[in-house]
Amino acid sequence: MTQLAYFNLPDVGEGLTEAEIVSWKVAVGDQVSVNQIIVEIETAKSLVELPCPFAGVVAELLAAEGQTVEVGKPIIACRVVDGATGAVQTTSIPVIDPAVAAAASSAHEAVAEAAAAAAERSSTEQASKPFPAKNPTLVGYGVNDAAGASRRRHVPAAALSASTAAAAALPVVANPATGLLNTAALVAEESVIAKPPVRKLARDLGVDLTKVTATGTAGEVTREDVLGHSSQASVFRNLSTPAAPSEREERIPVKGVRKATAAAMVQSAFTAPHVSIFVDVDATRTMEYVKRLKSSTDFAGVKVTPLLIMAKAMMWAVRRNPTVNSTWTDEEIIVHNYVNFGIAAATPRGLIVPNIKDADKMSMFELAKAIEQLALTAREGKTQIPEMSNGTITLTNIGVFGVDTGTPILNPGEVGIVALGSIRPKPWVVNNEIVVRQITTIGATFDHRVVDGDVASRFVQDVASVIEEPALLLD
Amino acid sequence: MVQLLSPEGEYSVAPQYAEYAKLVQELSEADFLKFYRDMARIRRFDFEANALQRQGQLGLWIPAIGQEAAQIGSGYAVGHNDHIFPSYREHGVAITHGIDLMSILKMLRGVNHGGWNPDETRFHLYAIVLGTQTLHAAGYAMGVKFDGKTGTGNLADDQAVITYVGDGATAEGEVSEAMLFAANHQAPLVFFVQNNQWAISSPTHSQTRVPLFQRGAGFGVPGIRVDGNDVLACYAVTKKHMDEARGGNGPFLIEALTYRIGAHTSSDDPTKYRSSEEVEYWKARDPLTRLEKFLRRQGIGQDFFDEVAQAGEQLSEEIRSATFALQNPPAQNMFKYVYSEQHPLIEEQLAWLEAYESSFGDQSHLTVADPSQIPNIGSVH
Amino acid sequence: MANFVEMTIAKAINAGLRKAMTENDKILLFGEDIAELGGVFRVTEGLHKEFGQNRVFNTPIAEAGIVGTAVGLAMRGYRSVVEIQFDGFIFPAFNQITTQLAKMQNRSEGATTMPVVIRVPYGGGIGAVEHHSESPEAYFAHTAGLRVISPSNPNDAYWMIQQAIASSDPVMFFEPKRRYWQKGPVNLDEPPAGMHTARVLREGNDVTIATYGPMVTTAMQAAEIAAEEGHSLEVIDLRSMSPIDFTTIVNSVKKTGRLVVAAEASNFVSVSSEVAARVHELAFYHLEAPVLRVGGFDVPYPAAKLEEIFLPDADRILEAVDRALAY
Repeated sequence: MTQLAYFNLPDVGEGLTEAEIVSWKVAVGDQVSVNQIIVEIETAKSLVELPCPFAGVVAELLAAEGQTVEVGKPIIACRVVDGATGAVQTTSIPVIDPAVAAAASSAHEAVAEAAAAAAERSSTEQASKPFPAKNPTLVGYGVNDAAGASRRRHVPAAALSASTAAAAALPVVANPATGLLNTAALVAEESVIAKPPVRKLARDLGVDLTKVTATGTAGEVTREDVLGHSSQASVFRNLSTPAAPSEREERIPVKGVRKATAAAMVQSAFTAPHVSIFVDVDATRTMEYVKRLKSSTDFAGVKVTPLLIMAKAMMWAVRRNPTVNSTWTDEEIIVHNYVNFGIAAATPRGLIVPNIKDADKMSMFELAKAIEQLALTAREGKTQIPEMSNGTITLTNIGVFGVDTGTPILNPGEVGIVALGSIRPKPWVVNNEIVVRQITTIGATFDHRVVDGDVASRFVQDVASVIEEPALLLD
Repeated sequence: MVQLLSPEGEYSVAPQYAEYAKLVQELSEADFLKFYRDMARIRRFDFEANALQRQGQLGLWIPAIGQEAAQIGSGYAVGHNDHIFPSYREHGVAITHGIDLMSILKMLRGVNHGGWNPDETRFHLYAIVLGTQTLHAAGYAMGVKFDGKTGTGNLADDQAVITYVGDGATAEGEVSEAMLFAANHQAPLVFFVQNNQWAISSPTHSQTRVPLFQRGAGFGVPGIRVDGNDVLACYAVTKKHMDEARGGNGPFLIEALTYRIGAHTSSDDPTKYRSSEEVEYWKARDPLTRLEKFLRRQGIGQDFFDEVAQAGEQLSEEIRSATFALQNPPAQNMFKYVYSEQHPLIEEQLAWLEAYESSFGDQSHLTVADPSQIPNIGSVH
Repeated sequence: MANFVEMTIAKAINAGLRKAMTENDKILLFGEDIAELGGVFRVTEGLHKEFGQNRVFNTPIAEAGIVGTAVGLAMRGYRSVVEIQFDGFIFPAFNQITTQLAKMQNRSEGATTMPVVIRVPYGGGIGAVEHHSESPEAYFAHTAGLRVISPSNPNDAYWMIQQAIASSDPVMFFEPKRRYWQKGPVNLDEPPAGMHTARVLREGNDVTIATYGPMVTTAMQAAEIAAEEGHSLEVIDLRSMSPIDFTTIVNSVKKTGRLVVAAEASNFVSVSSEVAARVHELAFYHLEAPVLRVGGFDVPYPAAKLEEIFLPDADRILEAVDRALAY
C-alpha cells in the first residue's frame, strides 16, 4: 500500500519565513532514503541542505529551482510504502561530514519508512490542532491552514460580563496558612454601584443614587435610571423647601385635569360604598423573579419591575374572582370578560389613569412593553382620551412615593382598585425563625354594592399568593 | 598539552604525563569499548537530531560533533557523588550520566526548558545564559565544603563539582566571579573549559590574549591544557583533578582543546566566517577515528564496529519515531511551577485562561497532552 | 499577655535573623561586609560572632557572584539570606536574579526550589551620593517567580524577615533605609499577618492611601494633617509588592470611593501603576475619582540637595488627596 508523503519547507533558522530552491539533488522517479540530501536551499542567513524525512520514490517536485517558497509549503511529494519502520541505509558510522556519508551509502533497498512519514504527517496535523501557530514558520510546530481565522466565542457577552462582575466581587482567598486571608472584615455589599459618568450625572441633577431603582445587568444604576428618576424626582418627593411666599393667599383656578379629577373623585367616593382591606405579603420571590427576568435575554430592552408581576397577579386573581372586574349600573352588574388594565400615573400635570386594552390577552413581554409605553406616554403628557376610558380594574403604585399602603379611591366605572406599596426588607417569620425578607402591603378598595367582604378577601388573597409565589402564574 | 593518543591512534606517554597514564592503565578493554560506543552513539544522535531540525521537527539543534572525546572522556571521569553543571552543548556528558536523549530533544522542540531531574542525575539543567552555571557550580561546591564532604580523606564519600564552559563564555564576568568565589573558599570545583575554538563566529584567539588554561591563575585557580580530541587523556586529566579537588585541593581549570566541526547551532552558517581548509584540518583529527585506530591496533575486529554502526541505526529510528510522537505540554504547565507556594495571580490567571479557552467550545487550545510513553532512548546505565 | 519589646527596624531585622538562624542551621548569611562589621547599617551585627564563619561570612565585591552562589547553595540544600549592600548596586546581580533565581523552579518543573532571600536597603531621604537612594522594586515585581516585600515598621520587619526565610520561593526583602532607626513595639509572640497581606493602619472614610516601605510613615503624617482639616484618610500598608493584596485595597475603596497610591519610586511603569490599573478593573463601579499616584519624578534620583523636592512628602500626598476629593 503506498501513499503520497509531502515534505513542507521548514524554518531552518529560528524565524525564517521563506527560502529559495537552489538546486534539486533528486529527480522524479528516483529512490530516496531517510536523511538523504534532496535539495539545497538558500535562506536569508545561509545555504542549507535538506535531508529527506522519509524513504520512497520521488513522485513530484513541487517547486522549481530558482523559485522562492514560503516556509510551510510542500516542496516535494514521494510515494512511500505503508508498513513497519524500516532501517536506514547507512552501514558505517557517519564520519564528520554526514552529507557525504549519506550520499555515499546510497539507498538501493526500497525500505519502507511509510509509518514514520505517515506518523510525521499526522503528528504535524495533531500538533497543528492544539496550537494553531500565530507564527506559521515552524513546520514542526504545525502550520495550521486555518491560521488567521479567528475563533468565535460560544458564550454571549452578557455572561462574560457577569463573570467580570463576579470577579469584581473578589472572592477572599481563604488560606490562612499562607497568610493571604484578608483579616479586615468585608464591607457589606450595600453601596450603590454606578459608573463614574453616571455618578457625575446624578450629582449634576441632584439625584440621590441610593434612592434610584437600578436596572443595569450588573445591578448598577444606569444613566437612564438617573434621568428617569430625576424627571420624576419632584413628583415623588419634595426636593427643597421654598422660601415663604410674600402674599397672604394664592388663588388657583379650577380647570382642566384638576376639575376632571375632582369630579371623578366626588362621583366615585360618594356613589359607591368604598371598603378597603389590606394584607402584608412576603414579596421576596417576586423580587427574585423580577431580577431573573431582567437578566434574561428575552427581556433585554424592556423594563421589568414588580409592577409587572403585580399586574399579572391581579389578572390571574380576576379570572378566579370575576366580579371584581365589573361595572355597576342601577339595573345590572356588567362583568367584563376582558381586562382593560388601568395604571394610575402621577404626571407633572396631575393624576391620570390610562389603561392597557385587553391586557389579559398579552404575553409577559407584551405586557411589560405596554406598561413601559404607558408610563412614557403619560410622563410626556401625551395620553389620549380613549386610552383613559373603559378601564375595568386599576392598579395604583404608591410604593414609588415610599408609602407603605393607602386607601385608594375607585376609578369611576370600576368596582376594584389595588394599591401596591413600597417593597422593603423587614423582619419576617420563616420556619419559625425571624429572617429578613422583602415585604410589601397590598391594599385594595372595592365597591360594596358589587363586591362583598368574602369576594374581596379571596381576591386580595389570590393576588397576595402570586406575589408570594409567582410560579402560580404558570397555571 | 596533555596527550596520550596521537591523531593516528598511537598511545605514547611523555614522562611529564606519567601521572595521567597511570589512570588510563587502571582502565580495562571494556572501558575503552564503552568509550567508543558512547562516542559513536552521541555522534549518530547528533547527526539524526540535525536532520530532524532540517526536517522541521526541532526548532533548533546544537551540534557537538567533534567534541565527543572531551565530553565522554571527562564525563566518565566524574565521580559517583559528583555534580555536573553543564552549559548547553554537553550532550556527550549527559549520556554518561543517564540523561534520556529525548529530554534534550524535547527542550529543542520547545516542549520544556530541560525536563530531567538535576538532583537524581547530578547533571544540572542546561544553562542558556552563558556562564551563569559556573556561579551555581561555585555555590554548590561551597555547600559541599560547608557540609564537610571534601578533603576528609575518604575518596569514596567525598564530593567534587565540575562545570563545563565554552571558550567564548569565559569572557562573561560571572565566570571570573565563580573562579574568585571558588578559590577564596578553596571549594572542590573543576572548571572544564571546552575550547572548541569558535564562539559562534569569533575565533578564540580574538577573545583572549592568554591561553585559557592560564585564565584562573589570577584568581588562584591553577590550570592545564589537554588534547580535547584524545578521549583517554581527557578521561585521565579530568579524573586526576576531580580526585584532587575532592581531596581538598580547591578549584582547578582544565582546558580541553578541541574543535567545533559543525555550526554553532542550526541557525548558523560557518561558511561565512571560517575556511574549509581549517575544517578539513580538524576533521583529520577526528576523535572517533583516532580511538578506532587505537582499538584496531589492540585487536578489536570489524564485528565490533559493525555492531556499533548497527546500534546507531537502531538509535536513529528510535529517535525519529519518538520525536514524531512528542506531544505538546498542557498549557497549565505554564502556571504549575512558577512558585512553590500558592500565589493569587497564578491562580487567577490560570482560572481565566481555562474559562476563556472553554468559551471556544471544541476550538479550545487547552488539550491535555499525554507525555507518558516516550521511549527511554540513549541512556547507557 | 503579649510579649512586646521596643526596637528599631534595624534591630528587629537582626533579631528576626537571629531567631531564624537559631532554629535552622541550614540558613547562611553572606554579602559584603556583613560579618565582623555587621553590615554598613549594622543589621547583621553580632551574628558573625554568634554563628561563626561557616554560616555568616563576607563575600568579595561581586553581586552576581553573591546571588549566583546562593543559587548553587540552594541546590545543595542551604537557605541563603544574602545582602546587596545598596539598592543602586543590585544591577550586576540582575542577571542571576531574573534569569536564574526567578526561573529555576519553573525550568526544572519543580525539581529544584530556590529558598533564597535577598535583603536590599532601599529608598532615599538620607542625603546620600548617587546610587544609594534607589527604589528598584518594580523591576523585580515585574519578574514572575519572585516575591517582593517591604516592611515599614519594626514589628513587620521582625516577622516578615522570618517569613521570607521560611518561604521556598525567592524573596526580595526591601528594607527602607531611612527608617532603620525608627523605633516601635515588636510582638515577640505572634506575627501581625502573612507576609503578603496588606494591613489597614488607620481607618478613614474619605480617601484611601495605599503605600509601602518608607512612604508609610509619610502617609500616616499626611493622615494626621488631613484629620485636622476635616478629612478622614484610610491608610493601607501594602507590605507586599508582589503579590499585591487587592482584597484589602478594594474593600477600602468600596468604602471610600477614592484611592491615592504613594511610593518613593518614580510613577512611570511602577508598582503604583499596577495598583491603579488593577483597582480600576476591580472596583470601577465604586470609584468616585480616578486612582491617583504620588511618586518621585521620572528622572534619575537627584543629588542630595534636591532630594527633598524630588521625594513625595505629606504635602504631595495631600495634594493628591485634594484632587481626588474634588471629583
